[in-house]
Order: sequence, then C-alpha cells, then structure tokens
Amino acid sequence: MKASDVELQGVSRLFGDFRAVDDVSFQVMAGEFLSLLGASGAGKSTVLRMIGGFDHPDTGVIRIGGTDVTPLPPYRRDVNTVFQHYALFPHMNVAENVAYGLRQERVPTTERRTRVRDALDMVRLLPLSQRRPDQLSGGQQQRVALARALVKRPSVLLLDEPLGALDRRLRQQMQVELKLLQNELGLTFVFVTHDQEEALAMSDRIAVMRDGRIEQLGSPTELYDRPINAFAANFIGLQNFFEGRVDGSTGRLEFDSGAAFTGERAAQGVGAGERGLGAVRPENVQISATEPAADTNKSKGRVAAVVMLGDVLEYIVVLASGMEVVSRSPRGRDEPWEKGHEVWVHWMPQNAMIFPFDETVMRERELSSRMGGKPEPGADDDTDRPPPRE
Amino acid sequence: MRLSATVRRTGLRAILPRWYQALPAWCWWLFFFVTPITWVAMASLGMKPIDPSRGAVVFDQLSLANYDAATGNVFFAVFLITIKTAGLGTLICFLVGFPVAYALATKVPVRWRTPLVFLLLLPYWTSFLLRTFAWRIILAPQGELSDLLRSIGLMSTPLMILDSNTAVQLGIVYNYLPIVILPIYVALDRIDPAFKQASMDLGAGRLGTFLQVTLPLAVPGIVGGVLLTFILAAGDYVVPAILGGAKGLMVGNLVALQVLASQNLPIGAAMAMVLIGLLAVVVTVVGTAAFGLRSIVRLVRGPAL
Repeated sequence: MKASDVELQGVSRLFGDFRAVDDVSFQVMAGEFLSLLGASGAGKSTVLRMIGGFDHPDTGVIRIGGTDVTPLPPYRRDVNTVFQHYALFPHMNVAENVAYGLRQERVPTTERRTRVRDALDMVRLLPLSQRRPDQLSGGQQQRVALARALVKRPSVLLLDEPLGALDRRLRQQMQVELKLLQNELGLTFVFVTHDQEEALAMSDRIAVMRDGRIEQLGSPTELYDRPINAFAANFIGLQNFFEGRVDGSTGRLEFDSGAAFTGERAAQGVGAGERGLGAVRPENVQISATEPAADTNKSKGRVAAVVMLGDVLEYIVVLASGMEVVSRSPRGRDEPWEKGHEVWVHWMPQNAMIFPFDETVMRERELSSRMGGKPEPGADDDTDRPPPRE
Repeated sequence: MRLSATVRRTGLRAILPRWYQALPAWCWWLFFFVTPITWVAMASLGMKPIDPSRGAVVFDQLSLANYDAATGNVFFAVFLITIKTAGLGTLICFLVGFPVAYALATKVPVRWRTPLVFLLLLPYWTSFLLRTFAWRIILAPQGELSDLLRSIGLMSTPLMILDSNTAVQLGIVYNYLPIVILPIYVALDRIDPAFKQASMDLGAGRLGTFLQVTLPLAVPGIVGGVLLTFILAAGDYVVPAILGGAKGLMVGNLVALQVLASQNLPIGAAMAMVLIGLLAVVVTVVGTAAFGLRSIVRLVRGPAL
C-alpha cells in the first residue's frame, strides 16, 4: 500500500463565536504515525473529522498526497477512518461489515472475498466472521473496525480515540499491535487521543493541542525534554511547578522568601520582572537529609507520603509554604525515605526550565491536586505562592 | 406464593405474586380486549332471535350459519374494496410521509423538531369526525376547491369526487398521515449518525448510504408505521360513512349496517371476526416478508466470505 502525506494550511472551524479549530497548519509525513493530543474540546477530533471529510473547514486548505481534498466528500478521499465507537453496521455480520467498502468499489467477487479473508486474518478474527457486532467484545469490535478500514488499502488511516473504550491491559496490548501494524504496512496514521502515555508510546510525532491551536509539534523525546511552554510541559509526563518572578540580571526565578530557581529558559522566554513558572520533573528531584551546597534549586520540607508504584517510589514532600513537591526514584537504588522525615529536595539547573506564567495550567493543577494540601486559593489568583524561607 | 431465589421479599410484597406489577396492564387487556372479542366471537355463533324482546342475540342453537351469510359475495366485494382503499391509502401515506419523517430526523435543526412534531399531531386535538366532515365542505361540487380547479383550467365541470371511493381514499390519507410519519421519524432519529459517516467513509455516496444503511436500519419503524396505518384504515368506519356515500362502502360500514340498520348483531359479529382473521393473515404475511427481506438479499448476494 502506498502512503500519502497530509497537509493542513490555515485551517479553522468556527461554531458561532467558538473557535473549535483556530488557524491550524501542519504536515504529516507519508508513513508517519502522528498523534493529535489534547484534552476534550481541544479541537483534535474536529481536525480529524475535517481530514476525513465529515466536516468542512471555514478557512484553509487540506491536502492529501498533494491533492486539494477540501471540497471533496468522504467517499472521494483516499482516507479511511476507525471511529471512536467503531460504528459497525448492526444489521450486517463481521464479514459483511468488512466487505462493505469493497462492494462500493465494485471489486470482483473472488478478489473481494480474498481481501476480506486476509483482512480478518490480519486482525485474527477469521473464526468470528459470521458473528454480528453485538455478539463481540469491545476489543473484537475494535479490530473489526480496523479491518474494515484497512481492507480498502487507504493511503492514510484516521483513528479517533479507538482505544478509549478498552480496559487498561487490552489498551496497552492494542497500542503495541497498532504500532507494529503501522510499521509493517508503512501507512500514514493520524491518531487522536487524550492519553499522553498512549501518544508517547505510539507516535513518531505528537501535536499537542489546546483551544483549537497546536501548542507544540514534535517527537515524543522533544516534547518530553524540551516543552516550549508551561502547558506542554504540564501535559506530557509529570511536572513540579514553582511560581516566582524573573530577575532581569541573573535570569533566575526569585521568590518572596529569597530562594531562587535556576533553569534553562524556555524558547518563549519570560521578560525581566514578569511572573514565571519553574518546572522540574519528579524523576529529576533528588532528596537528601542535609542541605545541598548549591545556592539555588533547593528547598526544605517534610515527607508527607510515600507511594509504591511497582518499579518506582514516589515521595510527596510538603514544603513550609504548603506546596507539594513530587519526587520519584527507582526502587532499590537508595535507602527509601519515610513519612515524617525532614528532608531537602534539590535538582540540577540543566533539568529545570523556566516558562512564562500560565494561569490556566495552574488552575487545572489546582483542581487535580492529589492531596489537596495546597493553601486555599480564595480570590488570590494573582499572588505568588513562594517556597519556604530557609 | 414463590419467593425470589435471591431476595427475601417483605411486607405486602411477600404476599403478592411476582407479576403483580403487571396487573393493571393485564386487567386493561382482559377488560378492553379479551372480553369484547370473546363476546363478539360468541355472538357470531348465535342467532338473531325472532322475538325482539329476548335481546340482540340468543344461543338456542350454536352454528356457523352466520359465517355463511357473512362471507357472501357482497362481503367479499366490499372486503376487496376495503383492502384496496386501505392498501393504496397506506402506500400513499408512506410515499408522502417518509420524506417528511426523513427531513424531520436529519435536516431539521434539533431545536425545531419537538415543536414540529407537536404541530404534526395538532390536528388530533380536534374530533376525527369534525375534521372528516370538514372535507365534505372542501370537496363539495360548489365548494372552494372545485372553484379553484375550474378557475385555473384543470377542470371544466364541478368537482364530483365527493361521495365516491376517491373521496374516501383522500380522507384515509389525510387522517392517517401522522400515524405513518411518527414511527418512521422515531426509527430514523435513533440511527447513530456515525453509521452514515462510516458508510460514506467506506465509499458509498448519499444514495448508496441511504439504500444500504439508513433504510435497512429504519425498517422496524417503517413496518410498524405502515402496519398500524393499514389496520386502522381497513377498519375505518367514519371516513367512508361521511365521505363515501353509497359508493364508498368499506367493511366497517358493512358491519355497522348489519348491527344498526338490519339489527342483525350475530351476522355483524361474524363479519367482524372474518375481518379480524383476514387482517391477521395480511399482517403476518407482510411483517414476515419485510423482516425476511434481509435474508433474501443475503441469499441473492451470496456469502461475503
């Protein structure tokens, strides 16, 4: 099968005043596995639907394999979709569902039968070919949907959160299968998900979306190690955030208490004197009993909780200000800390980043705070919450 | 009294039988359906008494003689007209009503749907009798419609369809259109839009999607609406009575004639039972055919694998 590239240029979709997709431009390389990652309402499904032809952009152009497909209906595009809830035709059995697309192409009977058989074999559902969709489990339905789309040999496959309805173990299994399938077939996959772990695991590149725009487009490593703003830093993986003000001369993030945070400045830097967010990942936060030598990137606190995550131990350290810092380390590497220990948390500047302050990110973190130990926000959205004094 | 295997029922529920919650429905069914039908069936086996003071029917001698009289030439002729009128009426209702139901379910913005369905049912707030009578005024030879048709040149003589089978046909279509539209609308509305999208994604155009996906999924609603309309139309008494005159006779009127005019309840009862029997056959055949259509299509197409 030949893979095509997909290109969006200046694509927007408005529903009244609401900008579901706001001037989005990007390109999916032929044979690439690209994920559209974002929360509900970010616009990722709308983008996918427009590529598939189920929705019309208000502005912009969509090209598949170089051809402008923007005015074309779905049945004229060389694209097939695996829908979120599979959309298997209830009045047909598995084999008929898979054969449907080939019938529309008027494929000769013998060839059609062979291709249907091969497609079902590929997803290992040949024995169930006479069953009806309501007699299948979620995972089986998902594979039928996949076979139904792939049997047509499209140059691009669109997948709209296809693994959402599956349980965790099955989902992980299907992630691997899908990735292997994509490698083997060499097709272009455009995959929509809200699960960042899923995106990281499967994608060649990820487009992180928020409010209809692409925040960052890059490989999983790029997104993990070099997020361009607080949103991207927070969305992928875990992150500790410190609020402070940037000192113009030193480039450090200063807190009211006098403590400071040094890190690499994000590409979209913070201006001098402005509020900023210091970010450091839990696996880079170290814990020690004695105060570290460096004069920045350290704080004193008490171990409030120890969480056993199998291969990793997670420590929740509460600082004097009430802020929680999360630290992770592999089990067995060091002597584990215990609840109640007075410790110092510290990290290296090269593992830390400073971003412009983002109110939405901080509010969202407030809502999903694990222990609820942060001070009550009240109306104080504008004040800093500095780490403790030394 | 049997207790549920897993739950101990306490108090009043311990005494009542397990199906007690269906009791109201059972009572309704027994009182309003089983009893009258049984009585009619029994009456059809009795005879009209010579002495009127003995009542409408006596059971001195049970016989099927009434059925002989009931299934005479007149009855069959009228029965055929009834089937034709009801059948044609149902067909026209379906051809007119389906696009309406389809538009309502797919093209109309969601917030307009309930108000429009309400408008569709609004005529039923008026008496069936009065609405049908209104058609007498519309279809009158010296009425508005007649004048209109003559003024635009479609007709040269006054409109003469009143008191004929055509008028009855019109009345049937008019009165039963919402009954066809509603079940079809509900069936179409329930179809997940994702199915249509999937169909188009797989290469079927609008017509192909409609024939291969939308229509098959709407069949239960279509069959329900069509059968309901047909059964009601076949037994209709009001429309032929008001619009049909002497030429627009249907079985409903025939039964009424026997019972009211000829004062022969047993024969009327026999006619009613024959009508019920014949309709049951028609319904069974049509219903099976509609649902068996899928199997026939499959047979013709051959297996997919």
